[in-house]
Amino acid sequence: MHLRTRKIIDRSATGIGILAIVVMTAALVVLLAPIFANGTGAFVFRGTAEFRKYQSDRFDRGDREVLTTEKETLRQVRQPVYDLLHKFEHQLKNDDDLDARFGAEFPKLKREVYRLIGPPPGEALSRLERDEYGATRWDRALVQADSIVHVQEDRGLDSHGFSLKVEGPRAARYKGTSLEPMFGYVEMHLAELLRPQWTFYPQFLIDNPQDANFFGGIGPAVLGTIYLTLGAILFAVPMGVITAIYLVEYAGQGRFISLLRTCISTLAGVPSIVFGLFGLAFFINTIHVSPSKSVLAGSLTLGLLILPTIIRASEEALRAVPLAYKEAALSLGAGQWRTILTVILPAALPGILTGIIISMGRAAGETAPIIFTAAVSVGLGVKPWEVFTSPTQALSWNIYNVSTEHEAVDQIRHVQYGMVLTLVVLVLALNLTAVLLRARITRRLSG
Amino acid sequence: MTAFGQTSGKISIRRQGGSLVLGQRADRLRHAVALLGRLILLAIASSSALAVLFIFYFIIRDAIPFFHDNGLREFFTSTHWYPSNAAAPEFGALAIFYGTGMVTVGAIVVAVPLGVAAAVCLSDVLPFSVRQWVKPTVEILAAIPSVVYGFFALVVFAPLLQDKGGQALSVATWLLFGPLAALAILVVADVSCGRLRERFRNPARAAVMILLTLAALAGLWKLSAALAAIHISSGTNALNASIILGVMALPTIVSVSEDALTAAGRELREGSYALGATRAETILSVIIPAASSGIMAAVILGIMRAIGETMVVLMASGNAAQIPQPWYNFLSPVRTMTATIVSDMGEADQTTGSSRYHVLFAMALCLLVVSFLANLASEWVVRRTVAKISAVRGTGGGDAASRPQGFMRRVWSWIGG
Repeated sequence: MHLRTRKIIDRSATGIGILAIVVMTAALVVLLAPIFANGTGAFVFRGTAEFRKYQSDRFDRGDREVLTTEKETLRQVRQPVYDLLHKFEHQLKNDDDLDARFGAEFPKLKREVYRLIGPPPGEALSRLERDEYGATRWDRALVQADSIVHVQEDRGLDSHGFSLKVEGPRAARYKGTSLEPMFGYVEMHLAELLRPQWTFYPQFLIDNPQDANFFGGIGPAVLGTIYLTLGAILFAVPMGVITAIYLVEYAGQGRFISLLRTCISTLAGVPSIVFGLFGLAFFINTIHVSPSKSVLAGSLTLGLLILPTIIRASEEALRAVPLAYKEAALSLGAGQWRTILTVILPAALPGILTGIIISMGRAAGETAPIIFTAAVSVGLGVKPWEVFTSPTQALSWNIYNVSTEHEAVDQIRHVQYGMVLTLVVLVLALNLTAVLLRARITRRLSG
Repeated sequence: MTAFGQTSGKISIRRQGGSLVLGQRADRLRHAVALLGRLILLAIASSSALAVLFIFYFIIRDAIPFFHDNGLREFFTSTHWYPSNAAAPEFGALAIFYGTGMVTVGAIVVAVPLGVAAAVCLSDVLPFSVRQWVKPTVEILAAIPSVVYGFFALVVFAPLLQDKGGQALSVATWLLFGPLAALAILVVADVSCGRLRERFRNPARAAVMILLTLAALAGLWKLSAALAAIHISSGTNALNASIILGVMALPTIVSVSEDALTAAGRELREGSYALGATRAETILSVIIPAASSGIMAAVILGIMRAIGETMVVLMASGNAAQIPQPWYNFLSPVRTMTATIVSDMGEADQTTGSSRYHVLFAMALCLLVVSFLANLASEWVVRRTVAKISAVRGTGGGDAASRPQGFMRRVWSWIGG
């Protein structure tokens, strides 16, 4: 082959490799960008007056005096809307013709308006909190206002056979009625009706969710994830480290040991959902560590899942300890146990810690093993003394729940993204710690 | 335990009048205690092996009643999956097996070319300083929890596919195949004109290039137009799950293959360069064949990761227990074994003991067997690599012998991770 051709082929191969790296990095950016961009929206956002009112009513936060003044201002701005709604409702009752046209639609419209600016005092549509307060976030308020001001109308089917919907102003439908001015008023005075302000809401991490995550934070889920992770570590670390010590310091090359190694690598390869089923069949249904799902059962299952990772990390760290350390200790007359406890383990500790931290990240993010053993989608934060009996929320399972099984997934996107961001930041922070720790070990070993 | 060592020392010193030699009894005692401690360690160490046996035992125990009551035939050959039908439940899991296979194949098609190319690039092409920035990317991809991938698939990727599926596919085609086509054109033009005389070579090459470029543009245009016309009715489908699973399996494949490629060693590379091979020739005809078993292990581990993954397929695959029409239609929703276990257990939980409950354990047993076999296969492949590398190097020399061992440990540490 011509030399030039070979050079071109050489460059192409390099190009393909770099293309692959670029695609991989792009995948990471594409994955994380929306999570960080939208997730921060759960903590920093333009909160409306309704948000401040809710925080004051429920959590007793904010300046009472300021809120009272604001309430008065809002009452004045909102009164025209309520008046128009009442007037129209009254007309509907007395006018059959009007009732035929709007009787079915009006209650829905009224509900939408109340969802935007909150019901007038003493007139909530139901006992649900989402019916007692208006839109707490400005981004939601804009969507809500749009659904009031505009209406989708069916225009038959399009060329693909899908139903064609056209957006039009709702005011046109109400032309000539007493309600017509309301739409213009809402559109014009939206900011005065809700008074959005930039809000920093760090309590999102510790507040209890209220009314199916429409309000409040993700406190119980964060707490549950912490319990489960710590529980798994508590169970897996002693077992894992001792197993590693045995494998490194005592075990030879016998058949039993190679069987043991095969078992450990098999354990590592077991799909996580199988761990979940095993936890259900063994920990809960057979040895009854708890009457039903509990933090304890979940921790045990997760502990089993991360056991192989911890064994391997510890084994590698123990093997990395220079032989000279051991020889020096033995030559000074220390027994094998003493050598292990006072020389080898301390020297291997940073490496073992790295493994532990990485497996903490894994345990915090796992979902499948805790579905049948620990996780529930509702409930308050678990008290430390209840961990042996009561199930808990957990970030990973709640992410799945609020983004698939919630009744209004579109309306609580900020909660979903907030949860995902919290979990991602937690896991990445753990991994970053591990990376820094590893860098330190490398420096110490080389320096 | 250390405390005991001290006491025994003191006793012996008193007896022997200052001598450091242990008495017979103290010696025996010390041995006994050391043995006891060793046994305790062994007991704890073997409990992880016990855990594996327990997992097999308890999954099999709860799976047997299903096979006992319903036999094997329906489960493996029928596609009718109606476990909740109280009067006449049907447990045909064929479509679910097919769905698992489909998304796994899709994930491998995405992950293997990309992962191996990236691994080659990491081990042989990139300078050290760049590599240090790329490696954390792989680690972060591996660390992100699966439910986060699932959330992305459901909330970001699925709407994109559903609303702008055709356009997205055609843009992706251009971005991926555009550069590849350009490289291919350069190479083909050069190869085809290499034999011509010096005078004609350049014009001929230009002509071939223009022709090929036009052909490639036309082909890509046609392909992307065909793709753009596709209307995806549901964003949660096999394609979505495959792509996301592929990205999830990438870190495993990249890391394990890169370790295998690095373990092929400097000597092979230098030998090849000394014979006048270019880098690409070295990689393609020396390094990759030498590391082929390691890459094979990487692929097996990637497959395992894709088969065992739960949350992504649960959220992204659409969960319809059917064999797509036609069989290769990646745009239709499918259902996998792991997702079935999660979504059906919620209902079967209250009916512990019924076939509906046990069938899920039967499914878990299938998963367990597959992952066990894959694990054995990857271990066997790695062991063969080590033997091969040792044979190439000769077994003598501490350095040469320790390297493959280190490689094996690293691969081992990736199994399942």
